[in-house]
Amino acid sequence: MTFWNRRQLTMAAMALALGAYPAHAGAVLDRVTSAGTLKVATDANWAPQSFMNANNELDGFDVDVAKEIGKHLGVKVEFVTPGWDIITAGNWAGRWDMHVGSMTPTKKRAEIFNFPAVYYYTPAAVAVHKDSKAKTLADLDGKVVGATSTSTFEAYAKKELTLDAAGAPPFEYKLNPKEVHSYENSTTAFDDLRLGDGVRLDAVVSSLPSILDAVKAGYPIKQVGEPVFYEPLAIAIEHGDPELSAKIADAVKAMKADGTLSKLSEKWYGQDYSKTN
Amino acid sequence: MLYPDTVEAEVLVHKPWFVATMFGVVLLVFMAFNLSGTGFAELMRPVIGEPSTSGLYGRFAIGFAIAVIFTLNVVLIGFAPLKLQIGIVWLELLLLFIAFFETFHLSLPFIREKLPFLISQGVVTTLYVSAISIVIASVIAVAGAVAKLSSNGFAYAIASFYTSFFRGLPLLMQVYLIYLGLPQLGFVINAVPAGILALSLCYGAYMTEIFRSGIQSIDRGQWEASRSMGFGFALTMRRIILPQALPVIIPPTGNQFISMLKDSSLVSVIGVWELMFLARTLGQKTFQHMEMLISAAMIYWVLSICLELIQSRIERHYARSKVR
Repeated sequence: MTFWNRRQLTMAAMALALGAYPAHAGAVLDRVTSAGTLKVATDANWAPQSFMNANNELDGFDVDVAKEIGKHLGVKVEFVTPGWDIITAGNWAGRWDMHVGSMTPTKKRAEIFNFPAVYYYTPAAVAVHKDSKAKTLADLDGKVVGATSTSTFEAYAKKELTLDAAGAPPFEYKLNPKEVHSYENSTTAFDDLRLGDGVRLDAVVSSLPSILDAVKAGYPIKQVGEPVFYEPLAIAIEHGDPELSAKIADAVKAMKADGTLSKLSEKWYGQDYSKTN
Repeated sequence: MLYPDTVEAEVLVHKPWFVATMFGVVLLVFMAFNLSGTGFAELMRPVIGEPSTSGLYGRFAIGFAIAVIFTLNVVLIGFAPLKLQIGIVWLELLLLFIAFFETFHLSLPFIREKLPFLISQGVVTTLYVSAISIVIASVIAVAGAVAKLSSNGFAYAIASFYTSFFRGLPLLMQVYLIYLGLPQLGFVINAVPAGILALSLCYGAYMTEIFRSGIQSIDRGQWEASRSMGFGFALTMRRIILPQALPVIIPPTGNQFISMLKDSSLVSVIGVWELMFLARTLGQKTFQHMEMLISAAMIYWVLSICLELIQSRIERHYARSKVR
């Protein structure tokens, strides 16, 4: 009896310890340097930030930034592509070390993640079908709006957005939708919008770069109004490894100083998004 | 008729009332749609003049022409022998599908360029994830069925709890629970094993019920007779019960295999680069995802057809006793 009790206790304690403290101080950095590879989680469906290129390899702004950070840490970079909700659920348990996937640092997310550095800002905008009569955002009052589920765009449409990261420009809610539809990603939202003005959606809130990309690909949509907010986007790691955090912050600072970030932004967006305008 | 009949009867599609009804229904259906903007209307131009201004007469003429073609087609197929009938109907349905996809204006060069990667990475991953899961699920199912039929309280309780739980939760949720939940207990498993575990447990639960019902469909007298001859449990199962139960078990099990093949796409949410994941990802940048989705759909279909063929072979093997 006593034997079993003690053993069960130890096992419970071990489970607790493993569950409660996934990363000891410096543990992630130690693992990265000893393995020589930095495992980076990113989305494979979020062009031009990260996507599959013609050679069936991951490519894009986020991917290039992650590779640059790897160069600064002196390690190889390896990518994994779990779903967005899997990444934001936290508890990475060592499956990957860092997330470079244009995550907006919010207070709620900061409870789960540590944001070592903001590496660029994206203007978020509203897109409508090209037949739409809406001239300003006020014309979309009481309409149906689509956005990627659990994204800041959805939060903005639902008026639940909090941008409390350092350097986040202030914004106001200019959109009063009747209904907000959630989508797997922005492309599925654009696909519903392209069916026609008001068929399934009247408007989509998304990042300006992906709206412009869709227009370039021949989607019958257009931007309406000015960008609704500028979203700071940060690199995320789990709490509990200040050494790794400091290394990433240094790397991003160096990339900002020597113009690498601006150059990458110009390469992928045609504009420098590494500073707020 | 369920079995080849010995009573000679006239072919249904040659009976005048059937042909007339069919003609009428097709005529009405195609009159109900305005087809004046289609290529078919262009073909009818000599008869109806400018399609867009032909009005009700145009609609009638188009509907009439389609009804004639349709009815003639069905009546002619009725003359063919059975095997040829099946082949022709398959071919015609397939052509309709191709015509449907043709309207999407897909970029064939893009598909051709991406197909090798879709197969070497996507199909291979899908196949090995499903194949391993099928094997594990079958093992679980046999054990579960025996446990559910046993008079041992513990075995029954565990097995019935298991089937109830895993049949009662959406598979997608099980994938999430296993992938995100197990690390909380200290077991960090990667995406592929987590997916295989979820698929095996879920399909094991369904197949437990299939196996149990198959075994139960065998008359109780078979069991009693076997036991009275001194056969033990294992021998009775192996030589008496299972050989009779298998013909009952195989069709629904084949169903499970096919649906497992497609449900393996759910593991794409945890970042496994299988067929569905690539289908959603590859064409994204250039907004050519319809191309990839349709290619993946076709690949899934071909794989399912292979499983169907294997199933029908096995069924034929076990139907030997019914051949006259």
